[in-house]
Amino acid sequence: MTTPKMPVSILKKATNPATNSSSNSRDDRNRALALHHAGLIQQRKDIELEILLSMETLMDYPLATFPYNASNPSPEDAKTFKDLLWPFQPSDYDALLVERNINGHCGYTLCPNPRLKEEGGGKYRVIYKSGKAKDFKVVEKEELEKWCSEDCARRALYVRVQLSETPAWERGAFQSLGRIDLLDEPKSDDVVVMDGIAQMQLGGEERDRQQKTANLALERGDRGTAAQSGLVDVRIQENQVQGNAQPPSLDIDNGDLSRRLDDMHLALEGHIPTFGTGRQISQDEEDTDWKL
Amino acid sequence: MSTEEDRQAKAREAESRESARLWRAWRTVHEMLQDRGYTLTEEEVTISLDNFKSQFTGADGSINRSMMKFSANPSDAMMKRYSNLPTDREPTPAPPDIGTIWVEFLPDSNVGIKQMRNFAQHLSSNNFHTGILITTVNITSAALKIIPAVAADTRIETFLEQDLLVNITHHDLVPKHVLLSKEEKTALLQRYRLKDTQLPRVQTSDPVARYLGLRRGQVVKIIRMSETAGRYASYRLCV
Ligand SMILES: [Zn+2]
Repeated sequence: MTTPKMPVSILKKATNPATNSSSNSRDDRNRALALHHAGLIQQRKDIELEILLSMETLMDYPLATFPYNASNPSPEDAKTFKDLLWPFQPSDYDALLVERNINGHCGYTLCPNPRLKEEGGGKYRVIYKSGKAKDFKVVEKEELEKWCSEDCARRALYVRVQLSETPAWERGAFQSLGRIDLLDEPKSDDVVVMDGIAQMQLGGEERDRQQKTANLALERGDRGTAAQSGLVDVRIQENQVQGNAQPPSLDIDNGDLSRRLDDMHLALEGHIPTFGTGRQISQDEEDTDWKL
Repeated sequence: MSTEEDRQAKAREAESRESARLWRAWRTVHEMLQDRGYTLTEEEVTISLDNFKSQFTGADGSINRSMMKFSANPSDAMMKRYSNLPTDREPTPAPPDIGTIWVEFLPDSNVGIKQMRNFAQHLSSNNFHTGILITTVNITSAALKIIPAVAADTRIETFLEQDLLVNITHHDLVPKHVLLSKEEKTALLQRYRLKDTQLPRVQTSDPVARYLGLRRGQVVKIIRMSETAGRYASYRLCV
């Protein structure tokens, strides 16, 4: 702002020559502070531009077509969606939704369907959840027209609640690492097959068969149908026996008593558990069992 | 009168009201460009409703907004007002940051990123310096963020159709605003020994500032009529 040629203002106190050196260092400090804040503003601008560009990418998603859909998005599209979403605040996400709706798409980014267009006027619609007259709710028509189906509304909101209200340029490193989960993650091939079996029309015995298929899947430890019916994915893995089995013995005479005394407090009914030598927990197994 | 005739009469009335609305917006935007200093003929600015209708009525009998577009060039006086002064550091200053302006009425019932990108694309591919997009609805927040993102290429201003139905600067209570050239601004600051930041301010979002297309750092002279003091002028810095 201030150029060296600027005439000295009468409002400003004249600089005392004695304090010249200290004022110089103060100027330096002020300059450093100004630069720091300029850097922050630039960082904010960069992130805002990044959000805008991501929005332009995502407003015409998904790229993949059949057989992928909102309940089974293509892994590439799902990955891009998650990657681009990190700086978004819920308000940015809502803005993306508006842009998708303007272009006629369902509000959920990974859904290839057009959004609903309700015929007729009126501000509200009555939605019957089952055939019963009691079981209904009143929904704003505008709200209804944001999606292709209620499922997509749920999928989109599932993502929205995971977004941080804190602007990306104010988040610490820890917060930036948060990853987004989808209500319907991309499925592996065998799960798709299992779903296909579960959804097959099998005449009168359909329900029975479905139950049996689900039980079978549960027994085999497959994901999919079992997980979808709300059951936890339990996988039993037998410990591999390394070496010969030996009955426990109380051989004080042979062992080093002092070492045994060291371990005594760890013993559970005579067994001392060990850590680190068991099976390695893979990233995959660790994360999946709570997922629906 | 049968209900069918009744319905038709109502539709005709709505149509003629719509034509009059658009005609007024069309006139206002022409006056606005003329006030800023763009070259327009008197016939273009003071077009009659009948002429307007005959020029822009589409095949269906109503006014076709997508035909409502035009461009204008800055006058010599305007170029002079926007010219940069040579300084010791820059003896040959940059040319004035002003050029051909493009005005377009958009019929779309939603204006989002896509529409805004198309408009920006149209401006840069035709080398228009400035563009004015007039819409019937509010532009989405995301689409508005495109304006600063493309500011290096092209200047975009947006107006709502309904905000142009009357020319606000013709209102009795709105004093006359005159943009100062850089030369006039420098002379003013020197005369009063001021820094420009010491002047009172006007926001770029102020309706009159938007009407004149004011930019940050420009100074406007505001001329008021007072019963006690006669004519007096004040100055404001656009921030
Ligand atoms: Zn959908």
